[in-house]
Amino acid sequence: MGVITTEDCHVLVIGSGGAGIRAALEAAQYGETILIGKTIAGKGGCTVMAEGGYNAVLREADTITGHLEDTLKGGAYLNDRTLAEVLVNEAPDRMADLIRMGAVFDAEESCMIAQRPFGGQRFPRTCYAGDRTGHEIVMTLLERLRASDVIIRNEITALELATDESRVCGAITSTRDGGIGAIAADAVVLATGGAGQIYDITTNSTAGTGDGYALGFRAGAELIDMEMVQFHPTGAVHPYDARGRLITEAVRGEGGILKNVQGERFMSRYDSQRMELSTRDVVARSIATEVLEGRGTEKGGVWLDVTHLPPEEIEARLPSMLEQYLAFGVDIRKEAMEVAPTAHHMMGGLRITPSCETTVPGLFACGEVAGGVHGANRLGGNALAETQVFGRRAGEAAGRSKEEKREIDPTQIEAVEQRIAAFGAGEMKPSDCVARMKRAMWDGAGIYRTAAALTTTREAILDLAASPLAASSGPEILDAWTAQNMLLVAGMILDGALMRQESRGAHVRSDCAVRWGVEDSPYGHTRISPSYRGIELIGRIA
Amino acid sequence: MKEITLTIQRFDPAKDETPHQETYTVSVNEGARVLDALDEVRRSLDPSLMYRSCCRAGQCGSCAVRVNGNPALACMQEATDGMIVLPLELPVIRDLATDIAPVLERLATILPSDSPQSLSKEEVELIKPLRECIECLSCVSVCPALKVVDFAGPTAMRQQMRCALDPRDSEDRITEAIERGLFACTTCHRCVEVCPKKIKIPGKAIEKLRERANRAGLTLPRHQAVAELVERTGRSVERTEATFLEQVPEVIEPDGPVKMTIGFFVGCMFNGRVPQPALDAMEVMKRNGIRVIIPHEQVCCGSPLIRTGQTTILPDLKKKNIEAFTSRGIDTVMTMCAGCGATLKNDYDTPFTVMDITEVLEKVGIEPPAKLPISATYHDPCHLLRGQGISEPPRHFLSMVVENYIPMPTQCCGAGGGVRSGQPEEAAALGKLRGEAIAATGADIVVTICPFCEFHIQEQTDKPVKNLATLLLEGYRKKDQEEKGN
Repeated sequence: MGVITTEDCHVLVIGSGGAGIRAALEAAQYGETILIGKTIAGKGGCTVMAEGGYNAVLREADTITGHLEDTLKGGAYLNDRTLAEVLVNEAPDRMADLIRMGAVFDAEESCMIAQRPFGGQRFPRTCYAGDRTGHEIVMTLLERLRASDVIIRNEITALELATDESRVCGAITSTRDGGIGAIAADAVVLATGGAGQIYDITTNSTAGTGDGYALGFRAGAELIDMEMVQFHPTGAVHPYDARGRLITEAVRGEGGILKNVQGERFMSRYDSQRMELSTRDVVARSIATEVLEGRGTEKGGVWLDVTHLPPEEIEARLPSMLEQYLAFGVDIRKEAMEVAPTAHHMMGGLRITPSCETTVPGLFACGEVAGGVHGANRLGGNALAETQVFGRRAGEAAGRSKEEKREIDPTQIEAVEQRIAAFGAGEMKPSDCVARMKRAMWDGAGIYRTAAALTTTREAILDLAASPLAASSGPEILDAWTAQNMLLVAGMILDGALMRQESRGAHVRSDCAVRWGVEDSPYGHTRISPSYRGIELIGRIA
Repeated sequence: MKEITLTIQRFDPAKDETPHQETYTVSVNEGARVLDALDEVRRSLDPSLMYRSCCRAGQCGSCAVRVNGNPALACMQEATDGMIVLPLELPVIRDLATDIAPVLERLATILPSDSPQSLSKEEVELIKPLRECIECLSCVSVCPALKVVDFAGPTAMRQQMRCALDPRDSEDRITEAIERGLFACTTCHRCVEVCPKKIKIPGKAIEKLRERANRAGLTLPRHQAVAELVERTGRSVERTEATFLEQVPEVIEPDGPVKMTIGFFVGCMFNGRVPQPALDAMEVMKRNGIRVIIPHEQVCCGSPLIRTGQTTILPDLKKKNIEAFTSRGIDTVMTMCAGCGATLKNDYDTPFTVMDITEVLEKVGIEPPAKLPISATYHDPCHLLRGQGISEPPRHFLSMVVENYIPMPTQCCGAGGGVRSGQPEEAAALGKLRGEAIAATGADIVVTICPFCEFHIQEQTDKPVKNLATLLLEGYRKKDQEEKGN
């Protein structure tokens, strides 16, 4: 195939969602920066889809300590405390950046940014722009990006990170048509987002295929807590093809109530204090339990109801929800929404320092691809804040990297080409492989997990990984490559889930009796890298 | 599961000289979207099919395509059997993927001053409607002005206004907007019709930018001349012959029993430039039991001023017009100019109901005319079709009065939005496209309801352009003759 493009730059940012663009804007202040993404910039990541909001302490009555405590408690104390501190400390400054860049958030009479209550938080600290908060952030970042010196390469997929003596020194890329290229860089920032697409039912965009976890792993980096997959409590149930589509937490933030088929407001049995605004792990499990115990709808969901709110309020505060449901023939001003849990966010990811350094020199990570900030469960509104806080940090740290040789070892490009050539001999269609993986992961590594089911699923994933994939045209090659990335990440989730023999946050092992409160858990992070896998023991097992 | 057949435009510029269409049959789930059908084609039939998709929830704007002629987000539009899927009208990369990035890169970017400044609630509420754009470029795909002149396009104007409204912005957006084609928009509202977020770009951005241009003294001289004429005479056109109002009494009684009473808002074109169709319409009213009250003190509705951003004398015009009808206790006002009708309905807050002539005739139910032995096509005035949502009634009456009605694809003729006076070359170029479309139908005549369209299209076609009212009257006259003959 031959290399068709080779270029070099100071910082290469991979991923053009909220974290990637923020990183690129920052890095560009230090030197030539290239931003690549497998979609058109801003359109692919999950930031643009994020509806509810951005958590930041902005008011006198709220405290940074409060935000930290909520985040740690919500994360079942598995969070990397330093990262969580960075998040809560800097979220207000990054919000100020956004406002300085031109963002238009909902405001109150006093010109203060309006804030709404979100699950698991003691104070209404979620800033919002209607229910299109992520879209507002992305539009703001895109305006700045288009006015910046950042070189934007749309629809370029990073296939592999290039290394030079264990230091990451660039990436080997592909165009939509399978044209191989190489970009050498002094530093590389991974901002590739999450991996919801590994599950059959997910809120994630089609780009959420976990490529960054796979690329980082293959370059030698360590990942933590990959078993921590957040299932958002409220995804759409039908029509079938729209299953999993996000129904924002803002619906509950604005007063939406959950009911089972008997009309019972069931959250009172699971968390009578916080009710619908309990943390996502709790609400998702409650809904799953209602359905499992036969109190769900025929289609396997429960009802989320806002019909008691004035129609004007729904129109003003939840316009995207209203519009999306109307497109599917449901008027949420008059009818309840049918909802069920859906794979949403990866709390785990590449292990990073507060400067977003991974365990491999030259490689930085920010946003959902990084792990540790959210522990075992993420609070709604903390992900958008994370994109900005850690996007800026990654861009700055990468920007401060010293200049390197900017060369890519041709044998690494050849290795990529050989892997691609092997697709010629394969038999299984990438789409069939992915469909089977998604189903297996949903059934075996969902909200409730057991060693038996996880093991069966692990075997199924290994079987799929052993079946050679078929691909001939450029787009099919990308499909096959992505499928292999997804299988690798699915394996990490399963391995982490098998290693963590406790229930904590989003990870529930129904086969493990837990004899401790989450605060006293003897376990730390699960760790996975090419050379090591295990779970940290930080205390005595009771 | 159900089986559907769909046709997709395929094109690989590297291999094909021209695009071609291919038809596929796939199984999809109940409620499947266009995107699900495309996914299934790619999965089961042709993995080389190229199209974009990301969020699958109508939020990222990646997957806009044309479905049965109209832009739509593939992830939100329900898939239907027999649908035809084409790329947007933008340069095609391959199949359904178009080159949208260059358009996006040219959008204005706010240049905030250094000091962080919070917006007030009012400022936020003003900007918000212009912030919902997901940059899918459906509006750019359909904009008629873009087809004939250098115009940055609807969403670019939206972005100009978004910047102009933001107190943090430090650039002169008005001059910039003018350079990017502010006066090219005909206010046809096609962009609103196809926008997944229904952003009212002409009303909320273009007309508002033109207002700001006006305050900055940057209104086009030809538009200024119209405003001066309205200020001086109360009318937006010079009289060339005896006006309609000079030829009619204040009340026209119907021939038979009164079925309905309406006030008639005549508008400047029918009053001063082309009174005959309005006079013909009065005959049609008489024949169908409609009493018409015509306050003679009515003035210009203000549409030519609103479209061109010259709104200072607008309150005065509105007051005069509303009083002209309320003082006579009129509860229903009829318009037969699409522009006046859209203005009274959308830009006024009237204490009476406003109806287009076709709505009035539909409500009353008319005596069938004789069929004229001609074939006719119909041009949808933008301010009737999209300004008032009226599409079927004119076609219904036209089918009653001609032997052969031939449909023609809808497109703006170029006369609106002050373009005919302000940018005559653009208006002529759009008119020419209409002329070609009319010729393609092979019809003997073109029928429309808007005097601006009528006047403008007539310059670009050798076929007679007639008002529907005139045609109905001709039908009645033929009927009378036939009855006399018997």
